[in-house]
Amino acid sequence: MEIKSFKKIDFFMKKSVSTLLFFFVFQWIAFSQQADSSVPHSTKLSIENYIFKADRKISSPVDHNKFTILQQDFKRPQDVTLACLSCHNERHSELMVNNHFTWDRKEKILNHGTISVGKKNILNNFCIGVESNEAMCSKCHAGYGWVDTTFNFQAKENIDCLVCHDKTGTYVKGAGGMPTPQTDLNLVAQNVGHSSSENCGACHFKGGGGNNVKHGDMEKAMLNADRNLDVHMAKEGEDMNCTECHVTVDHNITGKLYALSSENNDRVTCEQCHTEAPHKNKILNKHTDRVACQTCHIPTYAKANPTKTFWDWSTAGKLDENGKLIEIKDSLGDVIYFSKKGSFHWGRNLKPEYRWFNGLAGHHLVTDNIDTIPVQLNTLDGSYGDKGANTRSLAPSKIWPVKIMRGKQPYDTEYNTLLQPKVVGKKGSGAFWADFDWSKSLEKGSEYIHQPFSGKFGFVETEMYWPLNHQVAPADQALRCTDCHARGDESRLSELDGFYLPGRDQYNWLDYLGIIMLVSTFVGVLIHGGLRIFFRKNISH
Amino acid sequence: MKIYIYKGFERFWHWTQVLLIITLALTGFEIHSSYSLFGFQTAVQIHGISAWAYLVLIVFSVFWHFTSGEWRQYKPTIKLLIEQIEYYITGIFKGAEHPTRKLVYNKFNPLQRLTYLGLNILVIPVMGITGFAYMFLNYPNTAFELKGLDIVGLIHTIGAFSVVTFIIAHVYLTTTGHKPLSAIMAMLTGWEEVGKDDARAMLVNEMEVALKITKTRLKTDENKSELLDDALIETEKIMGMKKEEKFQNVIAKSGAGYFRINKMGYYGAVNDAWVRLYKYDSPEEIIGKHYSLSRTKEDFAELEKSFNRVLEGETIPHGEVRRICKDGSCGFHTVTMTPVVMNGQVVGVEGFILDTTVRRLAEKELLENKILMEELLKKKGK
Repeated sequence: MEIKSFKKIDFFMKKSVSTLLFFFVFQWIAFSQQADSSVPHSTKLSIENYIFKADRKISSPVDHNKFTILQQDFKRPQDVTLACLSCHNERHSELMVNNHFTWDRKEKILNHGTISVGKKNILNNFCIGVESNEAMCSKCHAGYGWVDTTFNFQAKENIDCLVCHDKTGTYVKGAGGMPTPQTDLNLVAQNVGHSSSENCGACHFKGGGGNNVKHGDMEKAMLNADRNLDVHMAKEGEDMNCTECHVTVDHNITGKLYALSSENNDRVTCEQCHTEAPHKNKILNKHTDRVACQTCHIPTYAKANPTKTFWDWSTAGKLDENGKLIEIKDSLGDVIYFSKKGSFHWGRNLKPEYRWFNGLAGHHLVTDNIDTIPVQLNTLDGSYGDKGANTRSLAPSKIWPVKIMRGKQPYDTEYNTLLQPKVVGKKGSGAFWADFDWSKSLEKGSEYIHQPFSGKFGFVETEMYWPLNHQVAPADQALRCTDCHARGDESRLSELDGFYLPGRDQYNWLDYLGIIMLVSTFVGVLIHGGLRIFFRKNISH
Repeated sequence: MKIYIYKGFERFWHWTQVLLIITLALTGFEIHSSYSLFGFQTAVQIHGISAWAYLVLIVFSVFWHFTSGEWRQYKPTIKLLIEQIEYYITGIFKGAEHPTRKLVYNKFNPLQRLTYLGLNILVIPVMGITGFAYMFLNYPNTAFELKGLDIVGLIHTIGAFSVVTFIIAHVYLTTTGHKPLSAIMAMLTGWEEVGKDDARAMLVNEMEVALKITKTRLKTDENKSELLDDALIETEKIMGMKKEEKFQNVIAKSGAGYFRINKMGYYGAVNDAWVRLYKYDSPEEIIGKHYSLSRTKEDFAELEKSFNRVLEGETIPHGEVRRICKDGSCGFHTVTMTPVVMNGQVVGVEGFILDTTVRRLAEKELLENKILMEELLKKKGK
């Protein structure tokens, strides 16, 4: 009797232990999955270093209307600057070394060493270059009177305070960076304040000669954005200003783009607010080691208005039979030919291209010989194998979304260098937009920058890389796994080689062999089984 | 006839593996972009969780295999390997017998041994190692970092194809048992349906092994049996049972007699049980005497034959034999004889005898009763 009950207990114990073991494994599977698959956008984001809209205090300690110095009858805009500096009496020292004023930055450029370059002398494949065209380009210069090399960068009165601090929206700059004559300087000067997106956008949205032409991810539609266009700047959302991310201290505005800059510093990063591990999903957080946030979260750009993707200067200069300018638009209303500028391609809702990038860039200077076609106007350094140890970035290359601007622009066929055309000027000055004569334009431009010009020129293909950072999409529109982890052209990373990407890459021979092995085993089994049934019948008869 | 062959853990291990491997294969090939089923992200998550679960299972199963000694089942052998292959290629169609029998202590045929060993020590570890390398040996693991996933991906994919191929063949071969479903039912319930001959062979094998184990235990050291005594007494106490006799005494009275005979045929050693069964007073009485005294003249010829075979190195389990005791009376016992080997040379014969006299008598009584009953029934019928 006692033995029997003992055995029963023993049996019961055994059963329960094995049942527990069984459930342990499955419970574990169930729980760990639950923890992993939580939906990211339904939970609160972990944000640091950021003041939410609801907590922002917008107050001005000063009413500039009441300053008598701003009541004076300003003859020149420079007088406004002097008036500003009479109170803000050391701010000019910050501005005079700021690249918004200098258009110049001393940085280490890959393959060039540390040199001083900037907007003032770097070539691009939009309007090509500033030099000899300052009168027009300086419409976006935070200064007054820059029309040629005689401009005095040392005179503090030449700083333009208003372009960044105007709150009236009436301040418009014209030739040489001077405000247009109808500008009411008193009104503007008495209504200044913290820079807003409108101030920044006045220039930064219009690079390349029009809205969204250059960047593709920065344009006026963002001033009135909905969530789908830009989660950060959405009016009904956080309604963020540029400076919320581009944190500015003493006029040092963080952030710079590799069209001009080269070093990996003073950058604005997503991580500064979103932290290094913003996802609930561990695997996604691991991706951030080698994939930039922007790659997944900026699935498309030029979402509201088109951006230029191709600019061919070689066709420029054609006039109609009356000698008038020709402008051709396509069905969407985008200008695809203009006599002054040549032919264009535009794009909307574009998928970015992707490149490995470690934060260091190179630039093709106007003095450099052309060694590759298309000429790489700037180069983004990086590769899969670059894990930061051998570069000054000290961080591994990541996959970045890039707008690649392609174009054709003039070069010296004899000396094999790119050329700086003079495009802006009066008739007879050699300016291309007045005389439509490339030879003269290029001669004047070269003369201006003291570069030899053989007189023989052609047009060469060029490429320029614009890493994308803005127009971040809502989380549910971010890239899915299979946008990259897919075979062939289905993968957005199909052109990024040098590494094995699960889901994208496989060994074809192995897949074929494997399938042959599986199929032949299956067929073999069927035949074997069939024969067994056949022979068993025979045996039993 | 049904035979208990797969233990609880073994079955749990097997079916959990089935579940995990199928899950891993389904999700793995989705990650490989062979098809889409769960969705890539879900597939990756399930794959990772299953991999961890598998690792836990492996830890448990390694522990089980070593503590239960079941790892011996995977010792590779080429004995009967060719025959097994031939059976699958030709014999199976002619209705031939399996060349190997499924036994509790030897449940895999040579092909299975090789295949499962290959899986257990090559394919599954390689899949595990490459899988976890996939997860962990990349940036920013600077201590030990893979240059890329290409090699790992290659090996992991080869392994995946191998495992799926194995599954197809394995599932098919389960149908080659006694009945098409008997192997699968066995893995589900633990009990396998086998033929009568198989069942008998299995029983014999089990007894052989049990005997071997008992023998080793008794032979190796006396302390152990003393410990057994203590343990038994303690258990008895716990269970509230009272037993006066010590285990050693039980053994001594149980009828398991031990003997050792040298090459020349003279007794070298006998235990108390042997002495008692042969009705001698002490071992000294018998040591040094020739073993022919244990049989009648007719019976001795057969014993001598067996004795000589054992000297050649064979182990002979005898059926029931008749012994001649000191007083000339008869007794019955079964005997197993094994060679005594020293320095690679057979120097004698040793063995156990198990008394069956009591059973004999009982059987006799039963028979007599039966006859009596039949007679009675006959009378009644009249």
